Amino acid sequence: MRAAGKWLGVAGVLLFTLFPVYLMVVTALNGEANAGSRTLWPTEWTLQNFAYVVGDGGFGRYLANSLVVALGTVLAGAALALLAAVAVSRFRFRFRTSVLVMVLIIQMVPVEALVIPLFIQARTLQMLDTLAGLTVVYLAFSLPFAIWTLRGFVAAVPVELEEAAYLDGASWGRMFRSVLLPLVAPGLVATSVFSFIVAWNEFIFALTFMSDDQNYTVAVGLRRFFGQHATDWGAVMAASTLITIPVMVFFVIAQKRLTDGLVAGAVKG
Amino acid sequence: MTVAERTEAGRAAAPPAPGPRSRGPRTARPWLLLAPALLVMGGLLLYPLFRVLVLSLQDFGLRELVSGRTAWVGLDNYVELLGNADLWTTVLPNTVVFAVVAVAATVVFGTLVALLLARLTPVVRGVVTTAIMVAWAMPAVTGTYVWVFAFTPGDGVVVQALGALGLVDAATANPFAGRLSFFAVAALNVVHHGFPFVALTVLAGLMTIPRELTEAAIVDGAGAWRRFRSVTFPMLRPVFAVVTVLSTIWDFKVFTQIYLMPGGDGVNRGVLTLGTWSYVESFAQNRYGLGAAIAVLLTALLLVVTVVYLRLLFREEEL
Repeated sequence: MRAAGKWLGVAGVLLFTLFPVYLMVVTALNGEANAGSRTLWPTEWTLQNFAYVVGDGGFGRYLANSLVVALGTVLAGAALALLAAVAVSRFRFRFRTSVLVMVLIIQMVPVEALVIPLFIQARTLQMLDTLAGLTVVYLAFSLPFAIWTLRGFVAAVPVELEEAAYLDGASWGRMFRSVLLPLVAPGLVATSVFSFIVAWNEFIFALTFMSDDQNYTVAVGLRRFFGQHATDWGAVMAASTLITIPVMVFFVIAQKRLTDGLVAGAVKG
Repeated sequence: MTVAERTEAGRAAAPPAPGPRSRGPRTARPWLLLAPALLVMGGLLLYPLFRVLVLSLQDFGLRELVSGRTAWVGLDNYVELLGNADLWTTVLPNTVVFAVVAVAATVVFGTLVALLLARLTPVVRGVVTTAIMVAWAMPAVTGTYVWVFAFTPGDGVVVQALGALGLVDAATANPFAGRLSFFAVAALNVVHHGFPFVALTVLAGLMTIPRELTEAAIVDGAGAWRRFRSVTFPMLRPVFAVVTVLSTIWDFKVFTQIYLMPGGDGVNRGVLTLGTWSYVESFAQNRYGLGAAIAVLLTALLLVVTVVYLRLLFREEEL
């Protein structure tokens, strides 16, 4: 009886968690999705929806735009966050705690409050409708979390290793490159994955900043398949699958490392 | 902070840079390292926050956007906002009730899943955890579209299933028209996206409870509910506090999941929340000043929750 309840629970959780993904993929592969077929098991399987989305649908362009923005965010974010994380975990200086508290609080700011002033600022600076403008905004969004997490990874590197490098006559820059950087690399990978996901998934700013459909990112490009009267659900789900799968693969890989880093950060302060 | 202290000691022992000015670079170095990140966060997070406050005191429309002129109106936007009946009858109840219900559902369901996971063999737990991770990784945009698709009036698979069970009339039911059913679908979406964090965090907490404690309770004849109430919950109180407050912060500022649902983009004014109202008022009506005032109200609400969060967090670290 107890065992049965347990297995019922497992089945229920699996059903609830996987149902949307299943429905998405199955509809993307459904040859009759546009003809109004809404089934959990299509009678006609096809890759036609994917071919349409990437080809005539113009989604290849949006995928490329999103990739550029996300990679820009990741590279700039990794560099800036690492430097800041070293500063707060390896040095003691005035206002160190204030900086940390600010990094923590700033994550709570709702994007709805930022989108109005940033839209006006970007308009003044002629940054609207450019991928660079979007990248800078995403960089700012991903930094607080990246700094907070990397701080744990940096703190976990034994100071003795740094001291050994100094005894060998290394300068601070040399020590940073040859000792610290290789040791926090796993943490850097984990936070980079999260910065990538932030940039890849973001919707409001992409919607607000981009008016030329050549500059759409994937999250906004999806709206193209929603017609005034009928929605091309086969195309929407095929495009959604293309957006979702990379994120899921990244996420499952990075999660373990990230949790380790957060725990290390909590223990070592 | 022990590592930081040892670092300081280690740095003092390291060969100092030659020359009398070595003192200067040492105090400047952390700030040099921090400068790029602080500049970006200050310019794109802190300064806009100040700007939105200033904007909320202006009449800022299309004309001001083009000409760059400013028209100060004092507290007029706030007077209009607080005098608007929609705020009290629709928007604020939508936002607060939705957040409270979604948070309660997320935390309760997440905890139940965590308790289930703790009772599974490692292999099964691994499988279920991966499935949970997949739900977590689903982007808000695509996740919302899938739920909208499943609840499409007439032929969505969930509407059909509910119709087959005789719960609704599948031919006429429109889940997105009514306020209650609209937010029920939104809550399902938000719980699906939010419970993985709660489940995995509570599971990590459950693993730290000594087995002897649970066994002693069993020996004393405590049932499952009694064990949860008297052993598990008190032990994990800080964990529950943190997941509850973080979920509250996230669910208060849910935007994408509401905006992308049919009617959520301002067409159906009965389902506006503070977030979507602020956006629609600004970018659809071009009333940026009023939109900013709504955004300030939302931020103020979140600030209260954040302060509670920080107090919980730092009390926990003192332990």
